[in-house]
Amino acid sequence: MAECDVKKIDVGDGAAIPEPGDRGMVSAWWIALLGTIGLLIALPLKDPSTYGRVLAFIPDGILVTFEVTILSISLALVIGLLTGLGRISKNRYINLVASLYVEVVRGVPLLVQLFYIYFALGRFVRVPDIMAAVIAMSFCYGAYMGEVFRAGIKSIDFGQSEAALSQGFNQAQTMRYVVLPQAWRTILPPVGNEFIALLKDTSLVSILAVSDILRRGREYAAESFNYFETYTMIALVYLLITLILSKIISIMEQRLSHYEKR
Amino acid sequence: MLKKAVLTLVTLAVMCGSAWAEKTIVFATDATWPPMEFVDADKNIVGYSIDFLTAAGKEVGFKPEFKNTAWDGIFAGLASGRYDSISSSVSITEERQKKMDFSEPYFVVQQALIVQKDSKAASLADLKGKKVGGQIGTTGYFAIKAAEGVEPKSYDEIGLAMEDLNVGRIAAVVCDDPVAANYALIKYKDTLKIAGVIKSDKPEYYGFPVKKGNKEVLDLINKGIEAVKAKGIDKELKNKWIGQ
Repeated sequence: MAECDVKKIDVGDGAAIPEPGDRGMVSAWWIALLGTIGLLIALPLKDPSTYGRVLAFIPDGILVTFEVTILSISLALVIGLLTGLGRISKNRYINLVASLYVEVVRGVPLLVQLFYIYFALGRFVRVPDIMAAVIAMSFCYGAYMGEVFRAGIKSIDFGQSEAALSQGFNQAQTMRYVVLPQAWRTILPPVGNEFIALLKDTSLVSILAVSDILRRGREYAAESFNYFETYTMIALVYLLITLILSKIISIMEQRLSHYEKR
Repeated sequence: MLKKAVLTLVTLAVMCGSAWAEKTIVFATDATWPPMEFVDADKNIVGYSIDFLTAAGKEVGFKPEFKNTAWDGIFAGLASGRYDSISSSVSITEERQKKMDFSEPYFVVQQALIVQKDSKAASLADLKGKKVGGQIGTTGYFAIKAAEGVEPKSYDEIGLAMEDLNVGRIAAVVCDDPVAANYALIKYKDTLKIAGVIKSDKPEYYGFPVKKGNKEVLDLINKGIEAVKAKGIDKELKNKWIGQ
């Protein structure tokens, strides 16, 4: 695998995170947000018997989507950090295990992984549906996160580690107190990206009969035949969530980089 | 002159030919519902309703064409005209009749409750607080939702629900009785059983829905159903696909 030493890492297909200087993106964000909120309020008011009922049908689905997203991202961050460290480890075996994991996971589609963990492994271990979804999502995203962490750590000049080591820090301390705090700034934007991509990908877990937003919507549509109204509302709900998240991440980025631009 | 005459004759022949040719009716089918409609080992769509329509077509002169379509959204495709009708064990319900026109009934079904072999539950009332699965948007799933106290769980395909019941993630599955029999008596005969039938005040029938107002196709299908029933072909097919 080719070495990647870029400072700016851009992976995943998360929503666009507006950068403070990018006027076009910032105003597009506001227009999208106001339009989404406007439609989410106006459509149910105009037609409570269809749009209104969709909205009344999905709130517990939103909770499930958040539950799966937050559990998965937390687990994926831990797996990602371990994988990232494993990938730069000088220990040949740790390195091999971490690399193997990344290669395998990145080569199998998430949907297939979901089916595999839920239905194929269901024969041997009976994981409850939400846990199976979380395991599959974090297993998959852990590999992507691992690459993000690896690139982030690599982006810190080796002189930093050398300096820390010569000051008497050991390897773990160097990583913890010197490299990671700095790498975090490089890592955060792609992690934010992955976070939003993960939230969107949780819609795939509806295939496992997990009652997330999409599943709830599909159940409503199958009963009422109001496909257009249902999927319009579902798209708007997802859009609202990702728009808010992308703003939060962009604010966090600004906070973390405040001493970079003086 | 001769050339012109020949040309006219040929054109006439071609036009007549197409008029004589059988009309093709495209049916959407979610081929995950054995033994009514499913994909066999040779990747052909087969089953009771497939044979039924093929026989009906032979009787009254249309050629059925089957298009494998996911169940979720199958009615949306009919409304947008992607196919002429649906041959997918569609039960005739009042809500569906508001949106589509249905053919005459061609099969009568009941909703069966499937549980694990060692379960003592005999009805949905015995399953309070438990998870019960069904296929999304089917009458079986609606029956679960209507039952008090059980936790409904909707699956994309009935086979996935059966697998979840088999490994014990859910306590029961509700679906049409021929399908229930196929899974509980053949595929999972060592682990699952049919606990009983869910009582309903009205009998439930399968019909072939068409887009509202599509009288031409509806009449042809109805004539076909009548002919198949008159000849007793439906009984033969029942023996072939369902047995007892």
